[in-house]
Amino acid sequence: MGFFSTILGFCGFGVGVSTGLVIGYYLFIYFQPSDVKDPVIRPLVEHDSQSLQQLLPEIPLWVKNPDYDRIDWLNKFLELMWPYLDKAICKTAKNIAKPIIAEQIPKYKIESVEFEELTLGSLPPTFQGMKVFVTEEKELIMEPSLKWAGNPNVTLGVKAFGLKATVQAVDLQIFAQPRITLKPLVPSFPCFAKIFVSLMEKPHVDFGLKLFGADLMSIPGLYMFVQELIKDQVANMYLWPKTLEVEILDPTKAMMRPVGIVHVKVLRAMKLRKKDLLGGSDPYVKLKITESKAPSKKTTVKHKNLNPEWNEEFSIVVKDPESQALEFIVYDWEQVGKHDKMGMNVVPLKELTPNEPKVMTLDLLKNLNQNDAQDDKFRGQLVVELTYKPFKEGDTSKDLDNPLQKAPEGTPPSGGVLVVIVHEAQDVEGKHHTNPYVRIIFNGEERKTKHVKKNRDPRWDEEFTFVLEEPPLKEKLHVEVLSTSTRIGLLHPKETLGYVNISLADVVNNKRINEKYHLIDSKNGKIQIELQWRTSS
Amino acid sequence: MGLISGMLMGIVFGIALMAGWKHMMRYRSNKRIAKAVDIKSLSSLNRDDLKKICGENFPEWISFPVFEQVKWLNKQLSKLWPFVADAAEAIIKESVEPLLEEYRTPGITSIKFSKLSLGTVAPKIEGIRVQSLKKGQITMDIDLRWGGNPNIILAIEAALVASIPIQLKDLKVFTVVRAIFQLAEEIPCISAVVVALLAEPKPRIDYTLKAIGGSLTAIPGLSDMIDDTVHSIITDMLQWPHRIVVPIGGMPVDTSELELKPQGKLTVAVVRANNLKNKELIGKSDPYVVVYIRPLFKVKTKVIENNLNPVWNQTFELIVEDKETQSLILEVFDQDVGQDERLGVAKLPMIELEAEISKEIELRLLPSLDMLKIKDKKDRGTLTIQVLYHEFNKEEQLAALEEEKRILEERKKLKEAGVIGSTMDALDGAASLVGSGVGLVGSGLGAGAGIVGSGLGAFGSGLSKAGKFMGRTITGQSNASKRSGSSTPVNSVQENGGAKPL
Repeated sequence: MGFFSTILGFCGFGVGVSTGLVIGYYLFIYFQPSDVKDPVIRPLVEHDSQSLQQLLPEIPLWVKNPDYDRIDWLNKFLELMWPYLDKAICKTAKNIAKPIIAEQIPKYKIESVEFEELTLGSLPPTFQGMKVFVTEEKELIMEPSLKWAGNPNVTLGVKAFGLKATVQAVDLQIFAQPRITLKPLVPSFPCFAKIFVSLMEKPHVDFGLKLFGADLMSIPGLYMFVQELIKDQVANMYLWPKTLEVEILDPTKAMMRPVGIVHVKVLRAMKLRKKDLLGGSDPYVKLKITESKAPSKKTTVKHKNLNPEWNEEFSIVVKDPESQALEFIVYDWEQVGKHDKMGMNVVPLKELTPNEPKVMTLDLLKNLNQNDAQDDKFRGQLVVELTYKPFKEGDTSKDLDNPLQKAPEGTPPSGGVLVVIVHEAQDVEGKHHTNPYVRIIFNGEERKTKHVKKNRDPRWDEEFTFVLEEPPLKEKLHVEVLSTSTRIGLLHPKETLGYVNISLADVVNNKRINEKYHLIDSKNGKIQIELQWRTSS
Repeated sequence: MGLISGMLMGIVFGIALMAGWKHMMRYRSNKRIAKAVDIKSLSSLNRDDLKKICGENFPEWISFPVFEQVKWLNKQLSKLWPFVADAAEAIIKESVEPLLEEYRTPGITSIKFSKLSLGTVAPKIEGIRVQSLKKGQITMDIDLRWGGNPNIILAIEAALVASIPIQLKDLKVFTVVRAIFQLAEEIPCISAVVVALLAEPKPRIDYTLKAIGGSLTAIPGLSDMIDDTVHSIITDMLQWPHRIVVPIGGMPVDTSELELKPQGKLTVAVVRANNLKNKELIGKSDPYVVVYIRPLFKVKTKVIENNLNPVWNQTFELIVEDKETQSLILEVFDQDVGQDERLGVAKLPMIELEAEISKEIELRLLPSLDMLKIKDKKDRGTLTIQVLYHEFNKEEQLAALEEEKRILEERKKLKEAGVIGSTMDALDGAASLVGSGVGLVGSGLGAGAGIVGSGLGAFGSGLSKAGKFMGRTITGQSNASKRSGSSTPVNSVQENGGAKPL
């Protein structure tokens, strides 16, 4: 009997619990409002000391740390934009989710899934400070401290087997400290090719998930478990040094690397129009590639000749065969005064077939303006032979991300190639003039960069290579910044702005060093030198 | 018994469980909301808030200027600058060259960049301020300072002189850039950006011009011309309320709301001047007045010779785009052989005017508009004008807009037709720059006929009125040269010729 009643008791308990749960559900949870209210935000001045105490752990980083900058303007911008962003994002999210849902539901025998409510709430994400790092490399690193404690309301209505369930996500909170790296920097807008995002710490994620109005996340233990799970998942993917890579521009294109060479042979000109009053003209041809800073090239001057033959060859580096063009200008050389332009023409490189010589006869024009009335006159013709040779595929795009290249073939097995890249200098100052250039002396070999006129912070970005038989473990590199006077004068023709000796053992060990060195014999001068040791292995 | 007591216990337990859950729910929800509130209230702090939080330990490194400092952005910018400069050079070359073409004065046949390098010094952003002045718009003011070392060489071709390279050096730009973002409900949420330079404080753009292998005096008044071109580009294109509207995001948006539109019409009658200064050695000054709101549309009175108390009684109509910020500028010049000398300038902010009420105002002439530069308190005389502001209604506004477009178009056409490029024009163009020696126009004929605004013919609707805006380059030569279009301002010159002191 006792046994029987115990069993009955257990059965009753079981039934009772379920009934109780149902009653409890209807009593406490069912009638809870499911909509999300905007929280009341009081100005800080009204807070008492106790609630202020509560605030303390959330004090923004820019208050705590001098190396974080305040970015209130960005917060304000975001706040003003937030209502619009909210609508836009939700609209996009709905549009994206719809086809995916439509595709997925037949598998699970669900009739329909639809958003009953989708808003990101009234609270925008805030940036609690921004920290940037400056390195010698071509990259920008910033670390915003992002905190989004929002009040979004995402309600999904799921219909299956004739039943309808609502799943509601509320009070999403994400605190993260992403590191955003923009690199490599390129000379075309937006000036960087890729964005790398990684998290410096495990993010904090918190939210409420309501099923039939009951918040699953408040079941003790479950929240901890879910949060850890999310954190680990995210950490696995994006915790530093793992990164999310977003490509903005094609780096090969954006870097404007050379992609080929055009060989130009200036053959001859015919029937040039006379410019000099006495005798014939003295023509020469100047050729130049557009959108390039490379100096233009010139042929020799053919004196007193209106049908000159040059037969001279030039090679010009091409960076973008689609948009670049070759410009030929025929000038009349003069002993004194300005050289007169006799005519010009332009050949777009896309007219050339790669690796195929093409002889072109160009009519010389006054200028490129098509509708210039004075342009009808015959100014003569120029005959040129053009061959465009693109570099082989793969030659160009290799090692874009990895600045460390292997030594080219033919270097001795124990040795390698020492690459010295002179980037820039700062605060170099001469007593009489500052037209700095850099002289590098290594093993008796001397190399020079070009001159930068009147500049205390010159930038050269020039690369020099030295082929060595063995690693330069004991050698030193002498780098000297010099300045020459622009005027021809006997006083102070040359001046040393500072020098530095760099021992190369570190480079051999590290393969690559990119550093700013303080210049000796200079007030605060610094020079940035990149050194690479490339071996064949 | 067992069953019932079990059930009861079960129910109690179940309800308790639910109650516990609910309690937990509320607790967690409150905690989250409290945190959200905390973070929200900490998102923008001011000095008092911070003082309250930190108490004694107020961090000294924090300050709260009106324009928020952006050290981090400057750091990034200086790093990024070589790349930005490279990218910008190409864009500037592409976009500014046609602009120069549009604004070049008649003495010059072409302006081109032969070298453009923005130098190694990055601009510095002194501060950023974000505010919302209008619903649906975000206004961002960027205090920008750039004392760079750009190397800009302009190849300028004048008709008489061959190409002279002119170097623009020591460029300094101090200005507040105002960017207004028009918000939209589609990603990227910004439908258009309006860019302008704030007028207050006045944008300061300093530079020195140097001719390479020649002298700037090779063409008379060339440096004035360049100054004038730069000045009118800045004040007429960029300085608030003038603006550049850039649609963003590729979606078709109606930006006409953002564009600057004619808002009203100002009828100015230049009545007389009193006690002008005598600038001439022999006789007295020959004063005339240049009146404008936008430097692109300048008008000018006739010259009254040998008179320090001239009476003009000439009426002009000018278009007002933004009554709140624009001002009417009146410059009194002494007509002279060669450079005309400025006797004084007066400014009338139009915000002081009431619509549809005619008002006579006596303005004191000042040596310069820049109050900081005025040191002498000498009396330069006064200028009496009568003004009437009329606010446009929709149709009038559209008509005015069309008219303005038409004039600019016409002007362009004239330029293209080579009218201005002819030697004759080049001569007086070079000699008589905007607002200066107009005397030579029309082969030294009537002296001071026509108008200042280069080549601008008729403007506004009141064409019939005497002393209207006449194209300077057209005056006096319209008969001799080939152009005699029926609808061009040339005709209007001839029609109104009688009324004009030709």
